[in-house]
Amino acid sequence: MFTKSKHSKLKFVQFILLIGAVLIALSLVANRVVWAQEGGEEAQPETEPAPRTPSLHPGIPLLDEDGNHVLDSGKPVSTIKTCNNCHDAEFIASHSFHSDVGLSELTAPGLTGNGRAWDTSAGLFGKWNPITYRYLSPEVDKHTDLTTADWVKLLGVRHVGGGPAQYSRSGQELTLMPPAADNIEASSIDANGNLVAWDWAESGIIEMNCFLCHLPEPNNEARKEAIHAGNFGWANTATLLGTGIVNQEGDEFIWNAEAFDENGELFPEFVGIQDPTNENCGQCHGLVHVDPQTPMVLSGCTPEQWSTITTGQIMSPQKIAESGINIENKADIRRSWDIHTERVVKCTDCHYSLNNPVYYQELTESRPEHLQFDPRRIDLGEYLYRPLHEFAKGASAQGALAPSLDNTLRTCADCHEAETTHDWLPYADRHMVALACESCHIPEMYAPARQMYDWTVVQTSGEPQVACRGVEGGGETFATALVTGYEPVLLPRPNEDGAAPLSPHNLVTSWYWVYGDPERPVPARDLQAAWLDGDVYHDDVLEAFDANKNGVIEPEELIIDSERKEVLIAGKLEGLGLENPRIAGEIQPYNINHNVTHGEWATKDCQTCHSEDSRVTRPIILADAIPGGVMPTFVGNGTTELNGDVVKTKDGALYYEPRAGADNLYVIGHNKVSWIDWAGVLIFLGTIGGVFTHGGLRYWSARKNPPQEHEMKTVYMYTVYERLWHWLQTAVILLLTFTGLIIHKPDMFGAFSFSYVVQVHNVLAAILVANAALAFFYNIASGEIKQYLPEPRGFFNQMAQQAMFYLRGIFKGEEHPFEKTPEHKLNPLQQVTYLGLLNVLLPLQIITGALIWGAQRWPNIAAQVGGLPFLAPFHTLIAWLFASFIVMHVYLTTTGPTPMANIQAMMMGWEDVETHPVAGD
Amino acid sequence: MKDSKYVWLIGLLITILIIVVPIFSVVTAEPDNSGDPWASLPERAPHVDHTDLMPGPYETGQDVTRACLECHENAAHEMTQTVHWTWESKPVKLPGRDELVTIGKKNQINNFCIGIQGNWTGCTRCHAGYGWDSADFDFSMEENVDCLVCHEQSGLYVKANSGLPAEGVDLAVAAQSVSTPTRLNCGGCHFNGGGGNAVKHGDLDSSMFYPSEDIDVHMGRYDFQCVDCHKTENHQIGGHSISVSINGEHEISCMDCHENDLHTDDRINAHIDTIACQTCHIPEGAVRDATKMQWDWSQAGQDIPEDPHEYLKIKGRFVYERGFMPEYYWFNGEADRYILGDKIDPTAVTSLNTPQGDITDPNAKIWPFKVHRAIQIYDAGYNYLLQPKTVGEGGYWTEFDWQLAAELGAEASGMAYSGEYGWAQTEMYWALTHMVAPKENALQCSDCHSDDGRMDWEALGYYGDPLRWGNRSQTIGMTNN
Repeated sequence: MFTKSKHSKLKFVQFILLIGAVLIALSLVANRVVWAQEGGEEAQPETEPAPRTPSLHPGIPLLDEDGNHVLDSGKPVSTIKTCNNCHDAEFIASHSFHSDVGLSELTAPGLTGNGRAWDTSAGLFGKWNPITYRYLSPEVDKHTDLTTADWVKLLGVRHVGGGPAQYSRSGQELTLMPPAADNIEASSIDANGNLVAWDWAESGIIEMNCFLCHLPEPNNEARKEAIHAGNFGWANTATLLGTGIVNQEGDEFIWNAEAFDENGELFPEFVGIQDPTNENCGQCHGLVHVDPQTPMVLSGCTPEQWSTITTGQIMSPQKIAESGINIENKADIRRSWDIHTERVVKCTDCHYSLNNPVYYQELTESRPEHLQFDPRRIDLGEYLYRPLHEFAKGASAQGALAPSLDNTLRTCADCHEAETTHDWLPYADRHMVALACESCHIPEMYAPARQMYDWTVVQTSGEPQVACRGVEGGGETFATALVTGYEPVLLPRPNEDGAAPLSPHNLVTSWYWVYGDPERPVPARDLQAAWLDGDVYHDDVLEAFDANKNGVIEPEELIIDSERKEVLIAGKLEGLGLENPRIAGEIQPYNINHNVTHGEWATKDCQTCHSEDSRVTRPIILADAIPGGVMPTFVGNGTTELNGDVVKTKDGALYYEPRAGADNLYVIGHNKVSWIDWAGVLIFLGTIGGVFTHGGLRYWSARKNPPQEHEMKTVYMYTVYERLWHWLQTAVILLLTFTGLIIHKPDMFGAFSFSYVVQVHNVLAAILVANAALAFFYNIASGEIKQYLPEPRGFFNQMAQQAMFYLRGIFKGEEHPFEKTPEHKLNPLQQVTYLGLLNVLLPLQIITGALIWGAQRWPNIAAQVGGLPFLAPFHTLIAWLFASFIVMHVYLTTTGPTPMANIQAMMMGWEDVETHPVAGD
Repeated sequence: MKDSKYVWLIGLLITILIIVVPIFSVVTAEPDNSGDPWASLPERAPHVDHTDLMPGPYETGQDVTRACLECHENAAHEMTQTVHWTWESKPVKLPGRDELVTIGKKNQINNFCIGIQGNWTGCTRCHAGYGWDSADFDFSMEENVDCLVCHEQSGLYVKANSGLPAEGVDLAVAAQSVSTPTRLNCGGCHFNGGGGNAVKHGDLDSSMFYPSEDIDVHMGRYDFQCVDCHKTENHQIGGHSISVSINGEHEISCMDCHENDLHTDDRINAHIDTIACQTCHIPEGAVRDATKMQWDWSQAGQDIPEDPHEYLKIKGRFVYERGFMPEYYWFNGEADRYILGDKIDPTAVTSLNTPQGDITDPNAKIWPFKVHRAIQIYDAGYNYLLQPKTVGEGGYWTEFDWQLAAELGAEASGMAYSGEYGWAQTEMYWALTHMVAPKENALQCSDCHSDDGRMDWEALGYYGDPLRWGNRSQTIGMTNN
């Protein structure tokens, strides 16, 4: 009876529930039909974006460090144990520079070769960076900055786990390390600056976090929070928060049994494992904005967006004009942030796993020349078992980690057939040798980037003075700033071909205190103690720096610009036990390879570089002032050279000025050898001066003593061919001189298109050479050549005689000393001049010109004779001599019987000449 | 013996030739394959000032027309041969149908105000004629052609019921202002299709009377008039819309002026056989003024607060949208058409004008559409869509009685009415082709080819994003195997 009623009660509840469910279902169906009642809320159900490709990954059980199911143990998930069932997770973790970050390459301080005396590796674990400032101490001493545990807590958020978050420097599991305050690997610094023991067994370690890169929406914030809290063991589990697999209640993580099927495997909808997307990479590497519809905004300047803060690189298909950033002239910037992202090329398409059989390509150096493609490769199953997590990389200026993988990345030319798209570009090959593609295709950065860190001072927040380039005002988040963008500086960067083309960079300059010998950066803790008492400045610091005495140190006052200030702070640091504290400065280059553009947005205008104000040598500001007057040194790793000058301006700012000439680079239209130009101008003006003097004297003397009447006769002096040759040569040489001048000084002739003028110059040169060759043949074949050949005997006397005529006789109206006849058109002076002109100057000009023209076709030949830096100025010098010759030549044509006689003869062929009695007859 | 005096001139010419010819043959400008689109634009002589030719006064619209015909003798006859007059196509063959049918506003329905039969006086305000107020309208009366609505430029000419000039219109002023039709003339009706600004097309609205360049690059940046593209001969105006003109005749194409492969990027040119220009160059519909996307007639008749963009008692409930993302379908220029009397499945959505073509149709390209979805009245006994009477005596807009409206409407359209009506879902396709955005705003790769892309590739017949899964010919090839 009792049971029955209970039963019927249950049935009744079930019935009610059933009715409810049906009603809900009906209302849902009805809702579909009468959507119009809901107004626009359900508008356009058809146009929802297509769903992402579903994950192919099968359901998996999540296992803990002991290999037990997390549902059973309640312990954190072990990525290695979980994934190791199908993939060789240990292989993956041990073959990944993202995981290793320098652990396996740790050296004694100062041996990394980048110039810093305290770096112990080339990776995040061991390489100090003024941007993050904190220093991984090699061992425990009284100024220990970061222990291993502190490093993980602070910098581990940009580390995928494994490596130094799991293993000691000797390769031991950190959990096996007994807590010890005197062991740098088993200790931590507490709030009071004291070393205390760190229990790895309690904190746990961080295995390489597969979820961070392979889930569509990993919870990186929760992961970072766990890491900062020292809750390392749960960091990877925290990454799953929000997926429904695990929930957080208070400080506890509770696995959700609903997410697993009866075999303990995750239901398909909880398995989102996929190839890494740009957003996955962007969690550590920089700002990634995928959705083209939502306007992008800058979200402050945190180091997580590493490439964005160091260079301004942003990966987004969005057009800049449509972003939400307050960019100067934004409406006109109709290009996307990154053409590759716009065209759906993903990070992993270029930075692919090096044994991915789809992408893998043997490097050119090791590939036999007869082989385009080697089809023998690992199959997909093998790849999925052991996907190498060493990724193709370039050779970035700061990323010195895993140098053996440098330039495994596809280059631009691996995908792009640049020749076909650059047929408009004169000297395309030459340009491509001298310039990296990025130099023209990343002409400008439209987001701000870091310019300077001044760690010699601290703000009351404990942060350094920071300056950004490409932005005006607006504070740290740039919310109200005007973003102006900046032009990257071009620095030579060796590529895998052994060349060092110019490529775009940002330069980040830093100043900071170092102490001791060998030197080390002053720990942030001590620096803050030297400046601050809690969150206010020490009185004597305030007194020294508060120039306007208003009780506050304003940003512009916060700089060490006098010896007094320097001594004060140094003294305070010394008081903290830091020996010999002194200011050091460094310049870090950051290369820029992303945010590529194309077409009209790439640099196409020749005069961008081929002009006085050339892009190639345009200086870039490093800092508005120089803390402590210390000139910063260059910190690189051999992949970028700083070959220009660091220059201090009058108002105390610091600039870097590239030097184009330093790299065997001669930018036509920009570079000049000034003494050659000056000498050329002097010779040219001297000639004009001489001609005017001589002409004036002739005019004056002709009035004083009228010319003697000579016996004249009219002879057929020049054949039609000779005249044609002459005037063609005249026109071509004049045009060559003029176009050459435009190419040499494009700024003075802004009306002309540099590129067209260059092409016209080349065509003219070809005509000149052809004309000269034909004339040479004509002179040889007709025997006219002997007119140019002086008779050896008495030649110098004859020259002297002719010279005396020009210096004296001509003023007295004397006869020309040598009769001009069709057989002897040239007087001895002309003979020697033309001999020089035609045998020396013209061939030299043709050869240097041809070599400059051929600098891209036969670069070796040009290089052997000194390359453009020698050839181009030489060509210029000869051009000046030619110009001077033309002046002299034209003037001397007026020294005939009448001023116009010679010119007329060259036009008409017939000339009135003086008759001379034939000598010896 | 001596050469001619002018030998130097010949020499000079030869010298110049030797220099100039090689320069011009070697030095080349950047290749430009954009052609010269301006060459295709009609050139018009300035229009004759008619101020003195049309002294007036005129009592009626027909008076004006008669005056026009004194000089332009054939004009009205030409007009009567056009669909702007007949509102009905020539007999055409529809897929799956043996008999020929005619299609037009005159005899078919849409899913906006549904149909004109029985509602003539209201609907024919936009007829290029005078006095069409019943089925008995005489289409041969040339004097009823309304010249002014297309040609007057005073801006003071207004049409009222049955297309007659509104009370108080000074016909002489209008007649004296005549000229080539401008956006104001065409837009007067076409921007107000569906009973108000921006209602119907999704790419034609009053923002185009004086558009900025980001609304319509042709009209905004280059000040085009409608008739620059809708070229007109003998009053036959080019262009067609698949709501009423389903066989692709009179099509105007971008390629009438633009070169087929004008993009400098080969990758973009490779799209041209598959993607209509409009697909990339009209990234959104209804750029400024919201257009009607949904219309639920079944909600009409309630005494609840009204808002012309949300609810009207006479019309029901609407959804308007501005800057909507188009829907994309294969389209070969032709469409199927619902013909009054066709049976429907009242539980399914009935398409009134399905665009034709699919991935295997070499003439089909992916086009952007506005799709207007409605719930409209149908005969629940005979299962066909009804054409209710809304305007005038006994019409729903005065009586709010669907039963009566259905009866009167069926009578006017010559259909049987079972006495029982219901509500059915319909949709209508409007190919977007106006409001071409400036090229800077055209779609980019990632707008379609990405996880967040706007194309439903599988619905279009692809295996997946063709960027990765292969293009149309590869897909068809695989299908055929």
